[in-house]
Order: sequence, then structure tokens, then C-alpha cells
Amino acid sequence: MPREPFIVLEDVSKGYKVGGQTVHALDHLTVTLDKGDMCALMGPSGAGKTTLLNMIGGLDVPDSGKVMVGGIDLSRLNEMQRASFRKRNVGFIFQFYNLIPSLTAYENVLVPVMFERDQKRGRAEDLLDRMGLSRRMDHLPMELSGGERQRVAIARALMNDPPLILADEPTGNIDSETAREIVSLFRQLNDEGKTLIMATHDRMMAGKARSMLRMRDGRLSGGKTSTRSGTVHLASSKYQGTQ
Amino acid sequence: MTERPKTFTTATYGLSHMKHNMMRTITVMVTLTLTMGFFILSLSLFFGLTSKVDPDSERRGLLEGRVPTSTDLFQDMRIDRDMSEGSRQALVELLLFTTVLVCAVSFFIIYNTMAVSVRERRREIGILRALGLSSWEVTKLFLAEGGFIGLVSWISALFLGMPLILNLSVYLLERGDTAFFFVAPAIPPQLLVLSFLFSIGLCLASTYLAARTRIGSSPVKLMRSQE
Repeated sequence: MPREPFIVLEDVSKGYKVGGQTVHALDHLTVTLDKGDMCALMGPSGAGKTTLLNMIGGLDVPDSGKVMVGGIDLSRLNEMQRASFRKRNVGFIFQFYNLIPSLTAYENVLVPVMFERDQKRGRAEDLLDRMGLSRRMDHLPMELSGGERQRVAIARALMNDPPLILADEPTGNIDSETAREIVSLFRQLNDEGKTLIMATHDRMMAGKARSMLRMRDGRLSGGKTSTRSGTVHLASSKYQGTQ
Repeated sequence: MTERPKTFTTATYGLSHMKHNMMRTITVMVTLTLTMGFFILSLSLFFGLTSKVDPDSERRGLLEGRVPTSTDLFQDMRIDRDMSEGSRQALVELLLFTTVLVCAVSFFIIYNTMAVSVRERRREIGILRALGLSSWEVTKLFLAEGGFIGLVSWISALFLGMPLILNLSVYLLERGDTAFFFVAPAIPPQLLVLSFLFSIGLCLASTYLAARTRIGSSPVKLMRSQE
């Protein structure tokens, strides 16, 4: 099936001042990702994976270069427009869940639509039900296990039905069994048409992705590669992913 | 099974947060109640001094131990005719200065309390921003909380403060041996309006000023805090 470019980064650079020195989190990065892709970002800590996700999600702006998502040039948007872009187009999933501790699971899922006229509360219940949390809706995050919290975070990310899901180490803080369930869920979402990009150190997770980008020092180390049957082909190495 | 709210609003959000952080909420409310009580007392003495109403009958009522009814609470009260114009003017200026001082100290206390609260919630602000809420929407969440705290504190200051003021006035009138003690406080309707506006305004202003800088920061920076 022919695919259309959905995410385009052109010569993107981003630096942070650390102790008087500038660290290049992204260094003249150019990359294109297709609509409906499920891409794993791999690389050592500090390689720029999270910064890349932040750029694509409109959470951060590049020092130079251009970030286009779904035809929208994020570099030209102001903060309010980027907030609106995030609300409508992006679902974020974080390693440490980032749930609001004072709200129940159900209320956490409703946070993105808090100021909407139609809050689609039925959808929030359906999503939690789909995540297997129908009996945990009225529990606070502290009363939930790590896997349950991450599933609440996934339900929250899906609340606005965004076309793009960005996951930063989504299985980094949960057990392997739950991680497998979450990967399976990501595959389902991808099959339903969502574009998924996930930063991960988990080879099993990367093996389930359709494509993979390997990063180092803010650049791609090797080109974009396809994965199949759990086998991940890296630019410089090849290993067997867990089925 | 728990009944879920029909809509999830800023009020739901604020109440959940206040319930979750009960000790902090109570501390802020007690601080503000005391501040407001003192503010009402200062203002009431001020109104008492500047009132032109003949106080004799009202004073007799207080000295005879008449318990003020809710209607009495809103009546203008009195000023001693015997007090010299110079003493009255000096007292008015003193009370005016005290009231302004109370306003400044109150603002400082509430601002700092709110600033600490906002600082502790940087990560939460970052999450809300990442989820697509605009800076103004997040500010509204904080303002709703600040406004609610201001309202509750005003009501408690009024109900706790008014009996205190009236009892104090009786005590002062009974002693009655200096010019100052001849001054009875007044609780006219304009005092209620003024104290209400002060309480809500103080909370909203201090919350807004404490929150605006942090809420406007980059969501990425905010989420990295406390990690």
C-alpha cells in the first residue's frame, strides 16, 4: 500500500545549555515518517529520542530547521496554537505515566477534554473498559499498579482520538508481562490507523514495530529500517526480538 | 459504586486537589481567615470612627448585654461625641495605615503560600500543558482554586470574626477609660462588600501573579522538574 509522508523534519537542531556548555540534543536531523507507521526510536540515553518526540508533538521548538506534522509547520505556530495542535492531534504516553495524583482514573482520562463543551464521558468509560479498567475507574493513581497506571495514561492519550501517538519509554517502568500487553495494544491501535512513534530501550517492543530509527548524539546512526517477524535489522547489527 | 460527576469542570478539578491536599488547604484557609478577621476588625473600627450616627442608644444596648441579631450586625454603629476632632482624626489615620498594612501583609502571605503551592505543582502544570491545555486554561484552574479559598475564608472570617468584633466592642465600651475605647466598631453593608471583594481579589491576584510565570514556561521544562 503506498504511504504518504506524515511527519517531516528538515535539518532540525536543538541545543540545551548544561553547565555553560551547549549540548546538541538534535544535530541537523532530517527524517520522514509515513502516515500509519509504527516506528521505534532506539539509542542510548542522551541520544535525543525524547527531544525528537517533543519536537514532533509540538512540546518543544527547534533552534533551527523545520518540523511538519500532517502538513502543519509546527515551527511557525505560537504557544497557544501548539497547545491546540497537541490537544487535537497528539496523544502522549510517558514512562512515569504522568497522571494527576489527586484525580481518579476516570477523571484523569477526562483531563484533555476538561474545557470542551461535549466531554464525551461515555468515551472515557469505553476507553477504560477497553483497557480492562472498568472496575478501577474511581481509583486514584496511587491505588493502581504500574501497568494499570500506564493503561490509564493510554486511555487518556486516546481520549481526543488523535491520529498520532507518541510514547516515551512506555514499558520502561512496568513488568515484562504487562509490557507485552501494552505492545499488543499498540499494534491494535496501529492497525486501526494510528501513527505510533515510541522511544524505547526494549528490543521486544522495537521488534513489534513496523520500522525503526536508531539515534546517537542527536543524529540518526544508519537509515530508517523495516522490521518483520520480530527481527530487527539495525544499520550495523542484527538481533532477534522476542516474539 | 461511586457516582461519577455529570461534567468534569474546573470546580471538580480544584475540589479534588484541595481534598487530596487537605492539610495545605486548611493551612491556607486558616491563615486567610485570620488575616480577613483582622482586616474586618480594622475596617469596622475605621467605619465606627468615621460614622456620623448617634451612638448612644446602640451603645446602651451593647452594654446591657443585648445579643446582636443578624439584622443588628448590618447596622451602622456609633462614635463617641466626647472624642475631640484631633483624636478622631489621629485614630482614623492610624486605622487607615493599619488597614493598608494588613492588606500588604495579607497579600505577601497569600502570594507566598500560593507561590509555594504552584512551585510544588510545576510537574502537574507541565502535564496539563502537554495534554493540550493552554496557559490560560491552566491559569483558570488555579484561579478557581484561589477564588474558592478566598470565598470560604471570607465566610469563616465573617462568622468567626463578627462575634469576636462585637464582644470586643462590648469589652472596650465597658472599660471606656480612654478615647480609643470609646470607639465602637461598625459593621455596615459596605464593610461586607469591601471585605468580600478584598478576600476574593486578594486570592485571585496573588494566585494569578504566583502562577503566571510558571504556567507560561515550557511544558518540557515544567515536566522535568521534581524528577
